[in-house]
Amino acid sequence: MDMKRDYYEDVQLFESNVVLFWTVVLLVFLFTLPLYVPSYRFSLFNLVLVHVILAVGLNILVGNTGQISLGHAGFFAIGAYGTTLLMTKLGLPFVLALPLAAFISSAFGFILGLPALRLEGPYLSIATLGFGLTVTHIIGHWDFFGGRTGLQVPPLDLGGGFILKTDVQKYYLILIITIFLVLSARNLLKTRVGRAFVAIRDSDIAAEVIGVNLLIYKTLSFAVSAFYAGIAGGLFGFVLGFFNPEPFNLILSIVFLVMIVVGGLGAIAGSIMGATLITILQYSLLKNIKEVPYVGPFMVDISSRWFTVIGLENLNSIVLGLIMIAIVIFEPLGIYGIWLRIKKYWRTWPF
Amino acid sequence: MKGKGRFWAVLFTISSLVLWTGIGLCGAPGFDDKEIRIAAWGPQTGPAAPWGSVARAPAVLAAMINEQGGIHGRKLKHFVRDDQYNPAQTKVVVKELVEKEGIFSFVCGTGSAGGLAVKDYLAQNKVIWVGPATSVKEYVFPVQPYLFSVYPLYEDEGSILTKYVIEKLGIKEIGVVYQNDPYGKNGLDGVRQRLDHLKMKAVAEIPVEATEKDLSSHVLKLKSAGAKAVLMWVHPTTGVVLVKTAATIGYKPQWVASNTLSDFELMNKISGGLWEGIITGAFMLPPDSDDPRVVKYREAAKKYAPEERFGVFFMAGIMFTEPLVEALKRVGKNLSTEAVLKALNSMKNFQGVGPKLTWSPDQHQGSDSIQIWKCGPGGKTILLQDWTVNELAHWKKK
Amino acid sequence: MYGQLIVEGLSIGACYAVFGIAVVIIYKTSEVINFAQGEMAMISTFVAYHILNVYGWPFWYAFIGALFFAVLLGVFIEVCFLRPAKDPTVLGLIVITLGAEMLLMGLASWKWGAEQKDFALPFSFHKTHELFKGVVINDWSIAVFVMAAVLMIFLYIFFRYTKLGVAMRATQQNEHAARIMGIKVERVFSFAWGFSSLIGALAGMFFAARSTLDPAYMMEPFLRAFAAAVLGGLMSIPGVVIGGGILGILENFVGFHWPAWKPIVAFLVIVAVLCIRPSGLFARHYEKKV
Repeated sequence: MDMKRDYYEDVQLFESNVVLFWTVVLLVFLFTLPLYVPSYRFSLFNLVLVHVILAVGLNILVGNTGQISLGHAGFFAIGAYGTTLLMTKLGLPFVLALPLAAFISSAFGFILGLPALRLEGPYLSIATLGFGLTVTHIIGHWDFFGGRTGLQVPPLDLGGGFILKTDVQKYYLILIITIFLVLSARNLLKTRVGRAFVAIRDSDIAAEVIGVNLLIYKTLSFAVSAFYAGIAGGLFGFVLGFFNPEPFNLILSIVFLVMIVVGGLGAIAGSIMGATLITILQYSLLKNIKEVPYVGPFMVDISSRWFTVIGLENLNSIVLGLIMIAIVIFEPLGIYGIWLRIKKYWRTWPF
Repeated sequence: MKGKGRFWAVLFTISSLVLWTGIGLCGAPGFDDKEIRIAAWGPQTGPAAPWGSVARAPAVLAAMINEQGGIHGRKLKHFVRDDQYNPAQTKVVVKELVEKEGIFSFVCGTGSAGGLAVKDYLAQNKVIWVGPATSVKEYVFPVQPYLFSVYPLYEDEGSILTKYVIEKLGIKEIGVVYQNDPYGKNGLDGVRQRLDHLKMKAVAEIPVEATEKDLSSHVLKLKSAGAKAVLMWVHPTTGVVLVKTAATIGYKPQWVASNTLSDFELMNKISGGLWEGIITGAFMLPPDSDDPRVVKYREAAKKYAPEERFGVFFMAGIMFTEPLVEALKRVGKNLSTEAVLKALNSMKNFQGVGPKLTWSPDQHQGSDSIQIWKCGPGGKTILLQDWTVNELAHWKKK
Repeated sequence: MYGQLIVEGLSIGACYAVFGIAVVIIYKTSEVINFAQGEMAMISTFVAYHILNVYGWPFWYAFIGALFFAVLLGVFIEVCFLRPAKDPTVLGLIVITLGAEMLLMGLASWKWGAEQKDFALPFSFHKTHELFKGVVINDWSIAVFVMAAVLMIFLYIFFRYTKLGVAMRATQQNEHAARIMGIKVERVFSFAWGFSSLIGALAGMFFAARSTLDPAYMMEPFLRAFAAAVLGGLMSIPGVVIGGGILGILENFVGFHWPAWKPIVAFLVIVAVLCIRPSGLFARHYEKKV
């Protein structure tokens, strides 16, 4: 918000000591989370973190570079299958398999970036959509990938027989990777590469004129984004323990896109908030409303009068849809925009 | 830079402390003196939601039992959780149930990926799982100590149906349409097993995706291959589309379908009456049967779940729960997981409204037989062949 | 056999095309891809089902009622969800339509349950007529062809000769200029949504008669129709119809020889086409200016 006065101010990690302080508080909170929250919640938190990684990567592509992708479930799947297969078939350790799978995913991202040089808007979205569908289709048809049955994920061995078993243990691993990747994304966007991405988003022709190589930077953006999706996918496999191609469908790609738009395009904090909010809403908003005292019987009564009691669970998708609509209508910048406004309000308070 | 390193070191110490203090793994106990908690997951929303009725049905059985005073003084409490057919959601809801509510045993449980994602977790927490609402080989081969399967294998079904078509109907030109997933492929394996045994070959084997809505090329392929009987291991909607499309081009083979398409009342309605004359496998008594047990369940469903259609899958939910209730009754007052496991493991030729069930410590595939039905006018069930065993079943030859 | 494949491919392709027209009409005026299109058609078809089965009225009443409902629904979504959005991005608008999709799907499943329903049109599947030797066509397909042809002619006249049609085209080409010329742009948008929803509902009823009616039945047809529209160029109505036809025939031929690849072949071909013609087959590709 404030003017930047010198270069070092631009590249430093924290804008002020206040930000530093709250970041430390947040980190300490995240690292001590298992002390306050029962452990069964952690399979959900792990999913949230995995989605945060993916959303941060997707936001680099969509929010910062201005390219749309409806195929990120494909990269996610490549990450998940790549990591698991590299570990089971080639016997690679986890620490090698995960980045390697992410690089494979990133290579596919590079390939998908090539048509993006010519396509835009809905045409690019259908091309990426085709990519996502093709990946899951091939996986589902090839027995090497476990077909539709799916794959059993090997134990998460960090090396030296140090195996992570419980969700809480995996939570720490995923948390550390998430923090690392979020910081990397933040740094990347402050470099020449990040500025080139933004230039392409604002006007690719103008960017080309001032010397941004579109071929390199557009494909690079896809590759980086796919790398994040690959890491997220690899971790997703371990969160599940067993997976088949079913979850990596078009709906998942769409949900990823919803996360960053609701969170705030082009803002890392936005993707974190969006992924957290949408995942938690999707997995636990208004679930089992029948068992809630007072509200439950009331809703059952309404349902039996005008709707069906069997379908009451669908309230989840109705309310989620309304929340999505409301956020976009009232705040085009997403939750990040709301956050900015609150900040501005308190900064100038009481004036 | 030094401060940063120290900060990370502190965080590392905290987290390892948290890990060492050993945040509990154990689930809450699944029963007390007043109630026994059972649960099922299944898609209640989203595209797969039609499969969800099976998960709701045990509530009817629980209500019936509770009305009669429960099992040895304990009431049954049934939880249903929506997982949208997504293994990630299955894992979240199952963990919450086990560690927050405390579940004694899961029943039904739809969706193979979700089931495979949680089965080890359930075993670690000593939670029994009876009657998964789908047949998955990985559930029972090798034996999972806490998992008891009721559903006949699709492979056996395929073999028995093929035998019926060849021997009783005398049709030699057999086409297969199978969904490209374990369900469809197991069915196809069964057909092949029987055909190999008779030294024959199917004239066409066509894969189909569950989401496909336009199947004219599939039907034309069957027609041009000259299939006189077509066996289907597909989604009910796919089955309806196949039959409708065949009618448009005047192709009339003998359709034979898996037990997942045996809900004649529904299938006949949504196919516009075209389901009449179709032969299917079946894993329990028909819901419109006059058998006293079925009548009892039907009345109970009308009373406790008036909105539900008493179709095959709703009744199947009750059928999958029957053996657990039986085991609980046999165990008596001193309830414990081990005792119920023992009772289940020693169950022999138990028959509710489903097939005869036999479990032993080294065999948890409970049933080996199916019935064969035909859809009569108006969706009435015609019994063609009573419980039939697949004599070629590979898993019994050991 | 190939003759029959072509007939079947064309008839399903025509159905995709009609639904694709609904996508195109919204895209043509407001440059939004409406992801709720399928669900709007779904819920309209459910309304027809409801009128038929709960009130027991004759088919044509239900048909008209559903179309009327579809128009209201389209206008409602435009007025209540899209119009209030403050300086929205295209992605933001897409997310609004996705939200509307989830909302409608949830409502339909809550109201009618998830179980499949039967929805029949008076144009039966069973009645077939022999075109050539060995090639038959059924009433359903004939009805689809007639519907597609009538729509084409109507839309051609509409966009060329009526005031409203010209206003819609003007709005798409330059919203500000259209506003200055005195076109009430908001009203044009509402009209486009209502009209598109109506066409979508028409196609939706035909799809339901072909498969079954349940809250998720339009997801797959929507994707195909969207693909057909992109293949045709998203801007031109003849393009969509030709795109739909190509898609239908292509899928049927591939499905006949390699059934396993049928679900994705259309998308692969479209990606290949787009690499050569970035704006589809029949839309003029505007070079961007700075």
